[in-house]
Amino acid sequence: MKQEEKYEQAFQELQGIVRSMEGDELDIDQMSEQLKRAQVLIKTCKDKLTKADEEIKRILSEE
Amino acid sequence: MNESSPRLSLYQLNHLVHNILEQELSTEYWVEAELSECRESRGHCYMELIERDQQGATPIARASAKCWASRWQLLRPHFERATGLHLAPGMKVLLKVGAQFHEAFGFSWIVSDIDPTYTLGDQARRRQEIIRQLKDEGVFDLQRELQLPLFCLNIAVISSQTAAGYGDFAAQLNDSPFAFRTQLFPAVMQGEGVEQSIIAALNHINNDCDAFDCVVIIRGGGATSDMSGFDTLALAENVANFPLPIITGIGHDRDECILDMVSHRRVKTPTAAAAFLIDMAQECMNFLNEAQALIVRQTLQKLSILGAQLNTISTTLPLLAERRITAERHKISITEEKLKASDPKLLLKRGYSITYSQGKIIRDPENLKQGDHIETLFEKGTIQSEII
Repeated sequence: MKQEEKYEQAFQELQGIVRSMEGDELDIDQMSEQLKRAQVLIKTCKDKLTKADEEIKRILSEE
Repeated sequence: MNESSPRLSLYQLNHLVHNILEQELSTEYWVEAELSECRESRGHCYMELIERDQQGATPIARASAKCWASRWQLLRPHFERATGLHLAPGMKVLLKVGAQFHEAFGFSWIVSDIDPTYTLGDQARRRQEIIRQLKDEGVFDLQRELQLPLFCLNIAVISSQTAAGYGDFAAQLNDSPFAFRTQLFPAVMQGEGVEQSIIAALNHINNDCDAFDCVVIIRGGGATSDMSGFDTLALAENVANFPLPIITGIGHDRDECILDMVSHRRVKTPTAAAAFLIDMAQECMNFLNEAQALIVRQTLQKLSILGAQLNTISTTLPLLAERRITAERHKISITEEKLKASDPKLLLKRGYSITYSQGKIIRDPENLKQGDHIETLFEKGTIQSEII
């Protein structure tokens, strides 16, 4: 449950960055920093998904 | 001694009675009576008939009756087929009888026919009476108000130990993929003592009630179809008030056995009882399997949606950034152009000149007076002048 919340949090932050990029709300100074942050968030989320996927496959193979 | 009375041997005297009866009671009669005893010996059937007073306690008439083997071998199967009952003490019967007085064996009614519908009617009336009483006591539906668990694995079985019905039942459960645990509480399942022995078994189970999910009362079909032991008030009350759901499978075709009526659920045979329990467990198992499949499917679907979202974002973000940078670059170059366009050097190049006085650009000669010094800027240098 806690992990899911963390994923949600990261994903929301990521969506926030996308929205401000789309709305041209960021100034250029912030932009690269935000992009870097977005890369980190994407990696976090993807790692979590991969882990969840592996976990599920492991549970299923235990049957 | 009174000499006027004839003096006879016992045989002569009895023979006299024999003759009188034969003359006076030559026809046959249909008689309604209750059996107080009934036994078979060497193919003959010996019965004791009674009639009780209105209160049903004291007998007001009593007589022996016999059915000779030649007749009994025909009447018995006919009666048992029609009623599903053996002749037994307590039963009301309608018999066709003729009087017989035998010099050596005394008086007896000789049975030549039995009407099974009379007995059936009496049994039905008694059952109705028991049902009415159970309803008055408010216990008739108690068992059906109980709830079986989602599945029953711990099963108390009331049956006769030797009966095939129990063996089939236990084997069927053992062959299933589920971990059934059965415990037999042996009881007499036919003839005398059915009521007391089933009640005793129920009491036994009741002492260890928490160990079981339900009770199953079963009896293999077998040769006998005598159900009278299952139609008693005391047994019905005990079953109705039992705290665990009771399933009956006592192998008969009648629809109105009271034990079945008060039980939580009736099935036809022990095999059907086992099938019912297995089906229940199987249904639960199916539900779990479906739920598992659903959860797995949903989770994997969710994961793939989330993955796709991330992929979209990771491809859009660089594009957005690039678009933004291009836009900014464009703004800068426009600004640059504008700046270039307004550079005064361009004007000087085209031959215009700029005039300053005391470091300020002069736009109106009216602001100058005689003797002021001015500086004029050309593309390639400046000159100083004085207003004259």
